[in-house]
Amino acid sequence: MKVLFFDPRTKLALMLLCVFCAMAAPNLWFQMALVGLIAVFALLCGRGRYALRGAAAYGLICLFTVWCMGALQGVWRAVFIAFLGLVHKVYACGLLAGVIIGTTKVNEFLSAMEKLRCPKKLTIPVAVMLRYLPTVREDWRFIRDAMRLRDVSPTLLGFLKAPVMTVNCIYVPLLTAAARAADELSIAAVTRGIERPGRRSCLVEIRMRGADWGAVGVFAGFLVFTMLAKGAG
Amino acid sequence: MIEFRNVSFAYPEGEDGGLKNITLTIPDGQCVLLCGRSGCGKTTLTRLINGLIPQYFPGKLQGEVLLDGENLAHLPMYRIAERAGSVFQNPRTQFFNGQTDSEIAFGLENRAVPQGQLRPRVLETARDLGIEPLLGRSLFALSGGEKQKIAFASVYAMNPAVYLLDEPSSNLDMGAMEALRRHLLLVKAQGKTVIVAEHRLHYLMDVVDRVIYLDGGRIAGDYTPEELCALPAQKRREMGLRAVDLGQETPSPFHPPQAAPALEMKNVALSYRNRPVLQDVSLRAAPGEVIALVGQNGAGKTTFSRAMCGLHREDAGEYRWNGRRQKPKQRMKRAGMVMQDVNYQLFAESVAEECVFGVKHPDLALAEKTLAQLGLSSLRDRHPGALSGGQKQRLAAAAAIVGGKELLVFDEPTSGLDYDSMARLAAQIRRLAEAGRVIFIVTHDYEFICRTCSRALHLDGGKLRNDLPVTAENLSEIRAILGVR
Amino acid sequence: MNTNANGKKGLTIRDLVTIGIFSALFLVFALVGGIFFAPNPVLTFYMPVGSALLCGPVYLLMLARVKKRGAASLLGALMCLVWFVTGMHWAMALGYLVMGVAADFTAGAGKYGNRKLNALSYVLLSLGGTGSYLVFFANPEGWAKTMLGNGTEQSYIDAMRAAGTGWILFAMLAGTVIAAAFSAFAGGKMLKRQFEKAGITR
Repeated sequence: MKVLFFDPRTKLALMLLCVFCAMAAPNLWFQMALVGLIAVFALLCGRGRYALRGAAAYGLICLFTVWCMGALQGVWRAVFIAFLGLVHKVYACGLLAGVIIGTTKVNEFLSAMEKLRCPKKLTIPVAVMLRYLPTVREDWRFIRDAMRLRDVSPTLLGFLKAPVMTVNCIYVPLLTAAARAADELSIAAVTRGIERPGRRSCLVEIRMRGADWGAVGVFAGFLVFTMLAKGAG
Repeated sequence: MIEFRNVSFAYPEGEDGGLKNITLTIPDGQCVLLCGRSGCGKTTLTRLINGLIPQYFPGKLQGEVLLDGENLAHLPMYRIAERAGSVFQNPRTQFFNGQTDSEIAFGLENRAVPQGQLRPRVLETARDLGIEPLLGRSLFALSGGEKQKIAFASVYAMNPAVYLLDEPSSNLDMGAMEALRRHLLLVKAQGKTVIVAEHRLHYLMDVVDRVIYLDGGRIAGDYTPEELCALPAQKRREMGLRAVDLGQETPSPFHPPQAAPALEMKNVALSYRNRPVLQDVSLRAAPGEVIALVGQNGAGKTTFSRAMCGLHREDAGEYRWNGRRQKPKQRMKRAGMVMQDVNYQLFAESVAEECVFGVKHPDLALAEKTLAQLGLSSLRDRHPGALSGGQKQRLAAAAAIVGGKELLVFDEPTSGLDYDSMARLAAQIRRLAEAGRVIFIVTHDYEFICRTCSRALHLDGGKLRNDLPVTAENLSEIRAILGVR
Repeated sequence: MNTNANGKKGLTIRDLVTIGIFSALFLVFALVGGIFFAPNPVLTFYMPVGSALLCGPVYLLMLARVKKRGAASLLGALMCLVWFVTGMHWAMALGYLVMGVAADFTAGAGKYGNRKLNALSYVLLSLGGTGSYLVFFANPEGWAKTMLGNGTEQSYIDAMRAAGTGWILFAMLAGTVIAAAFSAFAGGKMLKRQFEKAGITR
């Protein structure tokens, strides 16, 4: 299947619409429909496996929720339903955020935000934050190894046994690496001219196409429908 | 043309690496190697050309640096970036995008090159540099060498007149170093000016036109590569320079006390994320042995070392120490590692505390002795983060020894080390081995293997392919494995 | 010529990159701290406490490295964005945005170098996380509506309501302030003992 390219502005609009849809959804059916819509969107973006997994996982969560409502009593019911409630609340938005972060490249994001006249002062930190999250995970793996070789357990139990030591083990290398990365990354950026005033260009053409308007239209339509259903219910 | 007119520079708070009275002219199209000990000012020199000094690094600057007659201090960074491109040491932190194509186009996008010209230029760059297979990949999934190729490509795409490279080979294996050499020859043939600050000299000797030797912030020598190679080897070592010709390196004799093998691996199989990495590895190693672990990227060196230290579970086979079966937990107690990026394993507030950090009942006398042995006694009150790269490594080794580790793994310990630090490390590793430890060294560094190791293990194609003593007879084979020309 | 690149007015690229990277760490630590509390109806009120406990060192090192107006505001804005797009309650997102600006002014009053004011600014920023719960206490009915509309089950709200008596509000606010103050205190110590000596606070 042909993978569609969506303008980052479209993705931003979908994100907003999704937040409102999730807020307005009157019952589980609407949440499920929303998750289904997002899965279709992920599929169109070329994230078939992600879409399938996301939808399947949500299906299981829904089944589990129904089972909990029927089978559990008392405190456990409250605890589980509370937990599931939170999951339902953030699932759709999280799923969509995952697709968007996974398919939007830094340069596309910067150019699209430029077109929205969003200042570099905001877009650069956002881009760097998203770029750095995987690095945090890599760093943590190294640090965990180093801790275990020093006989410091990188677990909650280890923390309770030797809090000060564990805190040092986590923060010191993580923040040291962050500070160094900040220097090196900004050097790499300025020596390639990021400070040039005026608009950047972009490897990919950033333009609202038919697919963009279509996607926004579908999500907006769903929001209207949800609101109407909520009003009627 | 690049001209330095009486340039002096001092970093604030007296950090190393300042320059004193540099007067230097580099004509267009010249390929220059800057060499000298760590802290001699070679990085500073490159920073003056790409404008990072004075615009990014604060300090005290005198004199002027001219690029084609224009004073660089008066040009904004983004203007300099159009004419001088820079590649740095650490491949992990010099990419801004998550994906290779956009990273290659990054500089051009900043320059607002029209969109229609970008894709063709990216493709042309990839073709010129022979990196088409890397297009369309996530940068997070690339090896260090591949990331470094993308960093070079990103500069190449901008087509600058001057290329600046600051220790570009520090994290590269021989194959990647060879690719870098070819790329440098390519841009040189295009008539570009190339300036490389580097500790590893051998791969550049038939690339550069001129070698500038810096010492204490001054230019202390200006040679042709032939002149540098013609200097007596001893003289170059006194200058703190690493080998210019690996073909002349020979193993230095090493006779640790004979001992019975302590470590035994029997038919060990390892996998990483459900993919088999190594099969059927069997070996014995005795205290006193210093064993080099060599092989291509992805041959399983990292998994092998992590498993050796108990950080990774074996699928099959067993590890024994003095005949006793060792589960991962037990190996973890017995083995220590000095990681490639040693910053991840330094936690304490001072060198002395780092040494005993995490040890339940530390032997303070042993800690003192170890610090002295590794030349760290005078630094005992310094913060580990303020040490040099070589000192940090030795501190991590000291901490492992005080923690009672009998087996040590060093991961790429010579990246970024100058000759002095490399030689000191080699001698100290041998002393640690003589004191009855088994030592493994993951490395691509042929010169260092010759100086340090008694044996080399070659991992290839999921197997332990070769197990060779490092002796004069085996040298040609070891050279072939490492890809030394 | 004495050059002082970091003395440049306004946020430089280095500052923006630093803010981005430290925001990533801030986010990770806030999630790790909050994750134990958020899904439990009785403990959910203490989520800001958990988050506040872990982020102090990250925030203080960022301030030490940037030392300019805008750093804390941008961090707050980035957190606002993250919480909003992951479907958290709007008041929590808004809380970070508003308190980020407040934190910026507070730290700025001491030119970002006054330890006590920096610590206070962290406490203020941490209070941003309590936004959604404050809305709960201000208007439980309306809150239940948005949360229910968000998909939260009635029983969750009931459990929260049962737990959400007056003293919980006090405990949550006081707990957040104490946790943030402790985190800032520990972070300050860490800054002085580790990062200043290692030379990475510039």
